[in-house]
Amino acid sequence: MPRMPRPCGAGCGALSFLGFCLKRRIEIGILYSRSGSYQLVSDACRVGAMRAIADINADRDHGLELVPVERDPQSNADRYATLCEDIFRTSSARHVVGCVTSWSRKETIPVLEKAGGMLWYACPYEGFEANEHVVYMHACPNQHLVPLMAHVVPRFGANGFLLGSNYIWGWEMNRVARDLIADAGGKVLGERYLRIGETDVSRLIGEVRATRPSFILNNLIGTSSYAFLAAYRDLGAEDPAFSPQNCPVISCNLTEGELPAIGENGRGHLSVGPYFAPRPAAFASSFEASAYASVQVMADVLSRDPQAGPAEFSKAFAETRFSTRLGPIAIDAHTQHATLPVIIGRIADGYFEVVSRQDEVAPDPYLSRYDPAKTFGRPRLRVVS
Amino acid sequence: MTRIPRIPNLGGAKAFVLHRPHPTVQAITRQLSAIGLVTVDCWPELLPEVLAADFVFFDADLGFDEQFPWKPGEAPMPLVALIGSEAPGRIEWALSHKADAQLLKPVGNAGVYSALLIARQSFEARKHLAGEIAALRQRVAERQTIVRAVAALSKGTDDGRAYAQLRSLAMSWQISVEDAARRIVAMTSQDVADDDTTSEEGGSDQSHRA
Repeated sequence: MPRMPRPCGAGCGALSFLGFCLKRRIEIGILYSRSGSYQLVSDACRVGAMRAIADINADRDHGLELVPVERDPQSNADRYATLCEDIFRTSSARHVVGCVTSWSRKETIPVLEKAGGMLWYACPYEGFEANEHVVYMHACPNQHLVPLMAHVVPRFGANGFLLGSNYIWGWEMNRVARDLIADAGGKVLGERYLRIGETDVSRLIGEVRATRPSFILNNLIGTSSYAFLAAYRDLGAEDPAFSPQNCPVISCNLTEGELPAIGENGRGHLSVGPYFAPRPAAFASSFEASAYASVQVMADVLSRDPQAGPAEFSKAFAETRFSTRLGPIAIDAHTQHATLPVIIGRIADGYFEVVSRQDEVAPDPYLSRYDPAKTFGRPRLRVVS
Repeated sequence: MTRIPRIPNLGGAKAFVLHRPHPTVQAITRQLSAIGLVTVDCWPELLPEVLAADFVFFDADLGFDEQFPWKPGEAPMPLVALIGSEAPGRIEWALSHKADAQLLKPVGNAGVYSALLIARQSFEARKHLAGEIAALRQRVAERQTIVRAVAALSKGTDDGRAYAQLRSLAMSWQISVEDAARRIVAMTSQDVADDDTTSEEGGSDQSHRA
């Protein structure tokens, strides 16, 4: 479709020609898998990024026209780095919105460093990273796991069973959880990992039944997570000790995008995130909202300085509060992590009902400000026999 | 089950970076501040406050002994060597300071966190080992005391039974065998001294009597 020049609005930041705005074309990379075991999450992110691109392109007052350069790694961790390299080699894009798993993010970082590129990462992750070529737009542990545990321990108890898919998200989340459980005076009753995509959960269910935890921390992803929730619902039907009211499954990455795959099996369980979709909702999930906000913030800085590199972005982060569809957002210039709301939601009938909400929680990716006494109150006294 | 020691929280820890002003210092400072540490840059000398630092990063390329307020190898905190040139002499010098971890220059976007954790762990392990070796050396040095204590307790009869008695005394006093031996030797010397005094007095008595 030919691009027609439009009358130039005041302060739109676009190039002007005879009083008409010429939107500046900027290519940006989109690196989300269109198939595979975590496709629902990936699709949600992609929808958010593409919606933001469409909205910015349709906004006559915005100086940029964003052109997506899309690649599909098909949920294969080894393809992210090569496809990211391909984006940099075959286009002028230096910004990429993409990656779902931490595995793929870590694979992509060397390519970003080499090309001077930047990844806008719209998923929750396990923390303990602050690369200046990555902007972390979803929650890190002080914005998901720590507040979720602080909510759960006083209500259900401190003894946890830890589950994860067998890669860095599960390993690191469960490592932090082990420390938190110890600080809360509880015990880790089990820690088990499944290969990504594995759906045989019978042994896990047997172990949960045998150990009777106070809660289950679910760091399984995709189809493994759906299979576990389905089998756990059957267990709860047999023994009310495993109903969501008595022993909830708690997650830091479960959103509305996956509720259709989970169905009734999720009801009553808990998740935490920076956004849960109200009804009616602007966005279907926090992944979508966060990917949308990523493109908004990127375009905001690039509309003022189209050549901005990591140094200019860092300066912009230090000086600017961004108005996004997630609400006003600050990005910490030291760590490039977003300040976000922390919302705990309980799965209801196809949506999350908000259980608690804290606004503007500053990121602390290395948990360097974590204080067990503030998180769990006075240390619990234990009976010493 | 032995629990793996947890990853320490480094929030609020203080790191000194001994390096001339350079992009390397900025890269390290950026990472340290993201991890939650407070950074102090110094060159060419370390400030007196360095003695209270939790970590010291030092330049292995241009560094020299006089920069440090301690003898080579005796730093009271973990050290991280910043190595640019891999000249053997410079590595040898960095080794003489017993660096607990290293970072290769140019420093990029990562590496500082693992260097901190590795330096801290190996420093603690080294300190623990040094303490253990010092304690063992002290015990070895007490071998003669143990022989003397056993001799004193056996009074020329059964050495095996005397050693068992020494151990049982150590247990009932709740001290080490070496400390118990030292106590017995001291008591025996005291007895001997008392006997000597008595015998001297006795001698003089006898002389009086004579």
